[in-house]
Amino acid sequence: MKLQYSGQERIAASPDVVWAFVSGPEKVLTCVPELIEGTVRDPSHFEAVVRVAVGPVRGRFTFKFQMQPDPAARRMQMRISGGGFGSAVDMTAVSDVVAASDDATLLNWSGEAVMRGPVAAVGGRVLEAQANKLITQTFANIRERLSQEMT
Amino acid sequence: MSTDSTKTRHSLGVPMKRKEDPRFLQGQGHYVDDISLPGMLSMAIVRSPYPHATITTIDIAAALTVPGVKAVITGKDLEAAGLGWLPTFHGFDKQMVLAIGKVLFQYQEVAAVFADTRAAAVDGAEAVRVEYEPLPVVPDPFTAKKDEVILRPDREAKTNHIFHWEVGDRDATMRALEQSATRVSRRIWFQRCHPAPLEPCGCVALFDAMGRLQFHVTSQAPHVYRTALSIVTGIPEDKIHVISPDLGGGFGNKVPVYPGYVCAVVGALKLGRPVKWIETRTENLTSTGFARDYHMDVELGATADGTLTGLRVSTVADHGAFDAAADPTKYPAGMFGIVTGSYAFPVAHAEVDAYFTNKAPGGIAYRCSFRVTEASYAIERAMDILADELGIDPVELRRRNFVKKEQFPYASALGFTYDSGDYHQTLQKALDTIGYTDLLKEQAEKRLRGELMGIGFSTFTEVVGAGPSRHFDILGIKMFDSAEIRIHPTGAGVVRTGTKSQGQGHETTWAQIVAEELGLDPQNIMVEEGDTDTAPYGLGTYASRSTPVAGAAIAVAARRVRDKARKIAAHLLEVGEADVEWTDYKFQVRGVPSRSVTMKEVAFAAYTNPGQNEPGLEATNYYDPPNMTFPSGAYVAVVDIDRETGEVRVRRFLAVDDCGTVINPLVVEGQIHGGLTEGFAIAFMQEIQYDAEGNNQNTNFTDYLLPTSLETPHWETAKTVTPSPHHPLGAKGVGESPNVGSPAAFVNAVVDALSPLGVRHIDMPITREKVWRAIRDAETRPAATVSAR
Repeated sequence: MKLQYSGQERIAASPDVVWAFVSGPEKVLTCVPELIEGTVRDPSHFEAVVRVAVGPVRGRFTFKFQMQPDPAARRMQMRISGGGFGSAVDMTAVSDVVAASDDATLLNWSGEAVMRGPVAAVGGRVLEAQANKLITQTFANIRERLSQEMT
Repeated sequence: MSTDSTKTRHSLGVPMKRKEDPRFLQGQGHYVDDISLPGMLSMAIVRSPYPHATITTIDIAAALTVPGVKAVITGKDLEAAGLGWLPTFHGFDKQMVLAIGKVLFQYQEVAAVFADTRAAAVDGAEAVRVEYEPLPVVPDPFTAKKDEVILRPDREAKTNHIFHWEVGDRDATMRALEQSATRVSRRIWFQRCHPAPLEPCGCVALFDAMGRLQFHVTSQAPHVYRTALSIVTGIPEDKIHVISPDLGGGFGNKVPVYPGYVCAVVGALKLGRPVKWIETRTENLTSTGFARDYHMDVELGATADGTLTGLRVSTVADHGAFDAAADPTKYPAGMFGIVTGSYAFPVAHAEVDAYFTNKAPGGIAYRCSFRVTEASYAIERAMDILADELGIDPVELRRRNFVKKEQFPYASALGFTYDSGDYHQTLQKALDTIGYTDLLKEQAEKRLRGELMGIGFSTFTEVVGAGPSRHFDILGIKMFDSAEIRIHPTGAGVVRTGTKSQGQGHETTWAQIVAEELGLDPQNIMVEEGDTDTAPYGLGTYASRSTPVAGAAIAVAARRVRDKARKIAAHLLEVGEADVEWTDYKFQVRGVPSRSVTMKEVAFAAYTNPGQNEPGLEATNYYDPPNMTFPSGAYVAVVDIDRETGEVRVRRFLAVDDCGTVINPLVVEGQIHGGLTEGFAIAFMQEIQYDAEGNNQNTNFTDYLLPTSLETPHWETAKTVTPSPHHPLGAKGVGESPNVGSPAAFVNAVVDALSPLGVRHIDMPITREKVWRAIRDAETRPAATVSAR
C-alpha cells in the first residue's frame, strides 16, 4: 500500500530558527508521536520506537531515520524505514523551509510511504487516515515546539 | 462389474448416517493441535513483509534473549545442513525452506523460532531483526513475461517463464475458426482464491527413543509425505512414521509439504524435544497453496445454426514464486484438456504458459482436480457468450452440441476418453425440475418492467480419479491407490487405505463398500487411514480420486476376500468350490437355497475350521485404474438483482449431478451442499488480491470471506446415474463436481440478468460493487433494447 501526503505549517519564527530545528535529530525525535524511546546515532541518523495501533494491528514499531539536509535550499529530506509486528514501512519525506511575508516561516512538507505486511492489509481500511494523522501530528508538533521555544 | 447377483442392495446406495459424526459432533475429534507431549516446544516463523527483497542481515541475538526461546534457525543454517531447499510435488522445481539471500513473496518463511510456549516463540519471532533491501516487484504474469526482472536466478533458465504446455491440433483449429460463420472470443479470468480450510496446517515432530521420527501432520497424502521427508532430510523411510489424524478440511491445501514442516523436524532433531507448529489463519491464507489465477483467452467457432466448429484456449498462469502446483509430472497444466467440456468439438487446441511472480506458490488446490475448475468455467462461460452472439437460447446451444450418449466412450479433441454420460438426460431433468419454461415467462414479464432476473446454466464434465499409472505420477510415484481388508472371526473387520478423509466420510462409505461386497454389517467395519505404519501405500485424497481409485481398490480387495471365503464356504458346505454361488449376500449350494452359509459363519470358520485352506480372511489390492472417470452435471442458477444496490440474490440453485453409482446418497448430498457453498463463495466473495507493492490484501476472514448460513442459498439437488463402465462399482466421484460446475452457473445467471443493459461479462468475484458499477455504467450509455430471451 502506497500513501502520499503533504501539508503546510505556518510557524511564528524565522526561517533560520526553523531550519535549525528541523536539522537537529534530537529535536525532531521529540516530535515523533507515540514515542516510547529514541536514540540519536549521529547528526544525521536517529532511531525511534513508537507505539502503533492501526485497527487490530497494535504493537511497537522501530523506525530508522536518515536525514539528508540541503542547507542552501533549506530542504530536509528524510528516509525512514522500519516496522514491527511482521510489517515494514518505508517512507520518504521532504520539508522545505520557506520565508513567509509576515516574518513567519512556512514549513511545506510532503512525502510517500509504502506499507507492507499486516499493517497494510489488516489496517487497510483505516491506515490512510491513521498514517495521515501521525504524519500531520509530527509536523504540528514541530510547530508547537518551536512556538514554545519562541515564547 | 461383479458377476455375482446382487438384486437388492445390501449397503450400496443406502443413506447411512455417517459413522464418524458422533465424535465430531461431540467435540471428540482428534486434531494435530490436540496433541500435547511432555517437553514439547512451540515453533513460530519469522516471515517477510516484503514481496521481493534482498536479505542484508538477520540478527537473532535479541530473539535468543527472550525468556523461553531455545533456538532460532535461518536459511543459512538449513543450507549448511543440505536442507535449504525442498522439491515441489510437481517435481521440476524446488522451494526454499527458509529464505536464502532473498525473499520472493510476502509472508515467505525467513527464520524459525523454538520456545517453551507459543507466546514465547511469537515474542522471539518478533525480536528477530531482519534487514531487507527492497527489489522491484513482479506482481502479475504479464509483467513477468517481459523478463525485465528475473525472479529466480537460481534456475538455469534466466527467465520467469516456467513452462509452455499445449494439446490438440493448433493448425486445424485455426483453420476451423477462420472458416466459421461465427466466432466469439473473450479473456476470462479465474481469480486467485484460497481453500481456507477451517483447520489451518500444522504438525508435531518428535524423535522417539529409537531415533524414529514420529510426525503428526495435517496431510491429505501421508505416504507421499513420508517419502518426501525421507528425500529432503535423508532420514531412511523406515525411520519415519507419518500420522495424519482428523483433519478439519483440506480441499487441496493440505497436499503440499510446507517449509514449516521441515523446520519443525529440524528443530526436533536439533533440540531433542517434540516441536509443535500450528499456522495462524494469516499464515495459512498468505503462504500455503492457493487456487486458480488463470487468465484464459477463449475463442469459439460455430456454424450459423450453432454447431460448434472449434475451440482455442490460450492461458497465462500465475504460479507465484515457486512452481509448487502439485500436478502430475507429465501434466504441468493438470487436466486442463477437459476444457472441451460436454461438447463434441471436431477440433480444439489449448495451451498454457506459466510464470513466476512475487506471490505465494501453489495453484491447484480448492476442490479441483488439477485445473478442471478453470477449464469448466472457461467453456461454460464461453458457451453463453456464443449463445448471446448467435441469439440462441444457451440451453438449446448446449443441447445441439452435447456429446450424445451413444458416442461413449468418447474420444475428445484434446485426448481424453470420456467413460460414460447422458448429458441430454441430465439437462432435461434440470429443466423439468427447475421449471425452465415458467422461469423464461417470468423473466420476460420482469424485463418489461425493468426488473433484473437471470437464469444461468452450467452443463459441465469433469475428469477425476488420477489415475492410470501410465500417465500420472507425483514425484515419480505412480498414482494408484490401495486397500487392505481383514475380516475378524466374528464377522467384523477393518479396512485400511492409502487415502485420507478430511471430512468426506470415508469411515462410512468405505465400510459400505466392504459390507456390500461381503454381506456384512457396515457398522462393524472399521476404517483406518492416515497412519503410514498401518495403512498400505497410497497417494492420498485430493482431485476427487478417493472413490474412483481407493473405492475401487476396496471393492477389488473385498472380492478377493470373497474368493477366499468361497473356498472355506465350499469346505463348510461339503461341496466343490464350483458348486458354491454368492447369492443374496450369502454362499449357497448352486440350486439348493436351503444349504447356505453367511459370510459371518465363513469368517468364524476361517480362524476355527478352515479345512485345507489357509487360515485367516484378508486381502490387499493396489488399484491402477484403466482410465479416469468423468462425472458430469447440469446446474441452474436463478438470480434477482437489485438495480439500486447491485445486490444479487440467488433465488434458486439446482444441481443435477451424475456421479455414476452412488455409494451413500447422504454423503453425496453433503458433498454437493459443501461444494456448492464454496462455489458460491468463489463466484461472489473470494479473491486473494495483491496491491501494486505486492501486499496480500486478504490475510484474514475479515478480508477473505467465507459464506455463513445467512448468505448461503438453499440448494436443490437431483441426480441421474450413468455408471462408469471401468470402475468396479460404477462410481465416478463427486466431491469436486459442485465447485467445478457452479461458478459458471452463477456468473451466467448474473450476466443474463444484466444482459438487457448491454453487460456481456463480469469477472469473479461478482461483488455488489461490481454489479452496481455495471448498472451505473450501462445507465450512462444509450438506452439498451430490452428484450426477453
